[in-house]
Amino acid sequence: MSDDNADDHADSSGTTGERIELVGLTKRYPGQAEPAVENVDLDVAAGELVVFVGPSGCGKTTTMKMINRLIEPTSGSIRIDGRDVLAMQPDQLRRHIGYVIQQIGLFPHMTIAQNIGIVPNLLKWPKKKVAERVDHLLHLVGLDPTVHARRYPRQLSGGQQQRIGVARALAADPPVMLMDEPFGATDPITRLRLQDEFLRLQRELRKTIIFVTHDFEEAIKLGDRIAVLRERSHIAQYDTPANILARPADEYVASFVGGDATLKRLALHTVGEIDGEPGAPADLPGVAPTATLREALDVMVARGSDRISVDGTVVTFAQLSAAVRAADAVDRQQTTAGH
Amino acid sequence: MSLTEYIQTRWDLLSQAAMNHVLVVALSVGIATVIGVGVGVLTYNRPRLSGIAIGASSGFLTIPSFALLGLFIPILGLGWTSTVVALVGYSMLPIVRNTVVGLRGVDAAMVEAGRGIGMSAAGVMLRIQLPLAWPVILTGIRVSTQMIIGIAAIAAYVAGPGLGNQIFDGLARLGSVNALNAALAGTLGVVVLALLFDLFYLVIRHLTTSRGLRV
Ligand SMILES: Nc1ncnc2c1ncn2[C@@H]1O[C@H](COP(=O)(O)OP(=O)(O)O)[C@@H](O)[C@H]1O
Ligand SMILES: [Mg+2]
Repeated sequence: MSDDNADDHADSSGTTGERIELVGLTKRYPGQAEPAVENVDLDVAAGELVVFVGPSGCGKTTTMKMINRLIEPTSGSIRIDGRDVLAMQPDQLRRHIGYVIQQIGLFPHMTIAQNIGIVPNLLKWPKKKVAERVDHLLHLVGLDPTVHARRYPRQLSGGQQQRIGVARALAADPPVMLMDEPFGATDPITRLRLQDEFLRLQRELRKTIIFVTHDFEEAIKLGDRIAVLRERSHIAQYDTPANILARPADEYVASFVGGDATLKRLALHTVGEIDGEPGAPADLPGVAPTATLREALDVMVARGSDRISVDGTVVTFAQLSAAVRAADAVDRQQTTAGH
Repeated sequence: MSLTEYIQTRWDLLSQAAMNHVLVVALSVGIATVIGVGVGVLTYNRPRLSGIAIGASSGFLTIPSFALLGLFIPILGLGWTSTVVALVGYSMLPIVRNTVVGLRGVDAAMVEAGRGIGMSAAGVMLRIQLPLAWPVILTGIRVSTQMIIGIAAIAAYVAGPGLGNQIFDGLARLGSVNALNAALAGTLGVVVLALLFDLFYLVIRHLTTSRGLRV
């Protein structure tokens, strides 16, 4: 949230995340008996990606929008990096919080470059610096500036539009990002790819991110921590994905985890963690090293292959199941230790 | 004298009248656009207020133009002022209504995204909502223009400017020399102006609508 000192925005060593604290946060919409969000306390560490997961209508969006004050809290307080959010000018505040929504919300009458440049322009960056930043961000989200900068949103695919949505949110290098079901409207394949790219990006950028989804699998894959929410945004459990899978706090959380906890745990590890044999034949089905064990298993079953290529190395089904059992054993040990 | 001869011999007079006709229509539509878009912007998200605004401007349209202009004479006198005030009134409905409809048609996600990244409410209106609603608003402005090109002819009744003077003059003297020619030349002029205005709006629409909305 620091005031922009203009110099090194165009390189990738940007602003990393800041801590977010919610204290006694409550929202009561006018004319409704029950509050939509009731007395939420949450501490998000700097640089962590926290996923809010819970059924539709449980108050995820309301909780998130109070952080950038698109919705004004009825009571409670919000601090970012120790500063009182409710004491700031809302427009100024929002220019330092990246915001991505499911509908993407790119402006169709502006070019891609104009869309991404909006916040830097609001912050009165010099023209040249805005242009450099736009180029940099397009590269960062895997699009070619020479091809895409002058196009209009309707000329891009859904996946490309959502990448631009992320680039626009990152434009002024905010320490904090809010993302409301950002990949919810894309098809399953695009969605997996966007998740992978986004994880890679976040490893580099280390923003503090609040990410809303109703998809528990997505929460496991993306979250450093998951807040499982029940009605009125009450936090049923706030922990790492591994701990939530291994030790659901109550019946409600267990119902999210479901009967296939082992299978879900596959999403906690990537195939990149397994050492494969070099020299994969070109015709072997392949996945990226960032693919989860679950996605790798999916490809194996779908293609009827007991081997898979990861970055040119061969990973076998035996290695994959060994990795699962090893991970499972560790989780179970923690479970026993925790009880 | 044939109509062609009439037009040739009175070309200066006719073109002067046509020019004044264009001026009074353009001035009236310009003022109506500022007021009408303003009213639309202020009321589009308050259904009661926008209902009142649309109701009032459509009520205005039902007042016969002769009666209205007659009423204005004692208040505003003869000439341009009465004419412009009346024409602005008659232009309001399509502009107000299309502004309200156009702004309501803008996807709520656009406004939310704009506010969410830190644009002010006025900034979102000027840079997002109005540009996106513009094609609809411009259609309203065009309809208003077409409507008042005809009504402007009646302004000759209050000694207003324009081709109406030819028509009224001709009709008053029907039977005498060149009376029919005067009425016909005035009427033809109004039709030609209407076509030219429409052409003008085609060009304007092309120039003022973002390419991003056309792809
Ligand atoms: N603007 C609003 N006015 C009144 N009630 C609302 C408004 N927005 C959301 N709600 C209600 O608040 C509750 C939580 O909504 P929301 O935060 O959107 O949930 P989620 O994002 O988890 O689906 C719901 O019951 C919803 O109907
Ligand atoms: Mg929601």
